[in-house]
Amino acid sequence: MTADKAPPELDPVIHAQARLRVVAALNMLGEGNEMAFPALKDLLAMTAGNLSVHLSKLEDAGYVQITKTHKGRTPVTFVALTKRGRLAFEDYTKAIRALLDNAGGMS
Amino acid sequence: MVSDDDHVASPEEMLRVIEEQSVATARWLHGDPLLLYVPWGVAWLLGFTAFFLHYGLDGHPYAPISQMQALAVLMGAQIVSGSIAAFGIVRMNRGVRGDNSARGTMYGYAWFAGMMLVVVIATRVSTLLPPDESGLVWGGASLLVVAVMHMAGGAIWLNWPMFFVGVWVAGVDAVGVLLGAGWHALLTAVLLGGGFIVAGLWLRRCR
Repeated sequence: MTADKAPPELDPVIHAQARLRVVAALNMLGEGNEMAFPALKDLLAMTAGNLSVHLSKLEDAGYVQITKTHKGRTPVTFVALTKRGRLAFEDYTKAIRALLDNAGGMS
Repeated sequence: MVSDDDHVASPEEMLRVIEEQSVATARWLHGDPLLLYVPWGVAWLLGFTAFFLHYGLDGHPYAPISQMQALAVLMGAQIVSGSIAAFGIVRMNRGVRGDNSARGTMYGYAWFAGMMLVVVIATRVSTLLPPDESGLVWGGASLLVVAVMHMAGGAIWLNWPMFFVGVWVAGVDAVGVLLGAGWHALLTAVLLGGGFIVAGLWLRRCR
């Protein structure tokens, strides 16, 4: 732990349940893997519209990479966590744990 | 679904969200252990019990089953279990592309290559051996591939249960081969057939 007692800053981009779930799911894929949009939608049980909105916010922050491609003639969209997104998720998880540790009777 | 953008949750809640989503995603990616282990367990229990009854422990068969009939039971059951497992494997990594699917493809071909090599070696060697010993070459070498592939799978996907399943298969196979064809069939039926059924049920419960 660092010397300063200030509570760690929580990343506002992923400090929202829906986007946190998106990032947590993509983090499990491991580096070098991406998931098709419909699969991610099913896994998270979100509507396509809702997921799209959250993905574009994550993309704007540089946390996810969205690749549009074709499988035969049908367009497919793949989503992957970027290095930056993975780091942000790790930092966020650390920050949350630190908050909980501090709350757990240490201070 | 309600947009929860403005909803600020407590750290406990957010940590729970992370954990639940990670577990749900792991389940989605890793497939159902029930489909991957239990069918093989049943196939080996049936097939190697048939072989055990054919060989007997003291060189006298316990039931009038020929080696070919026992082989037919094992192969038939393995075809059914292979189809169920293939269904389970296809459902794994749904919608994922990248390194994971490349790993899966290479791993699949490694299984195939290993089993083909067993066929080549056993076919060549078994003509020189008495029937019991040739059966032992087939069974022992096939389980060698099963053991090594499970251990390798554990290493590839950092999956300790899978690795230890491989260790278990290797151990049972080694003891069985040392004791002879009858014992090998008995141990494989009970400890590996039964073991895979137990492992599948247990892994399903803990996931």
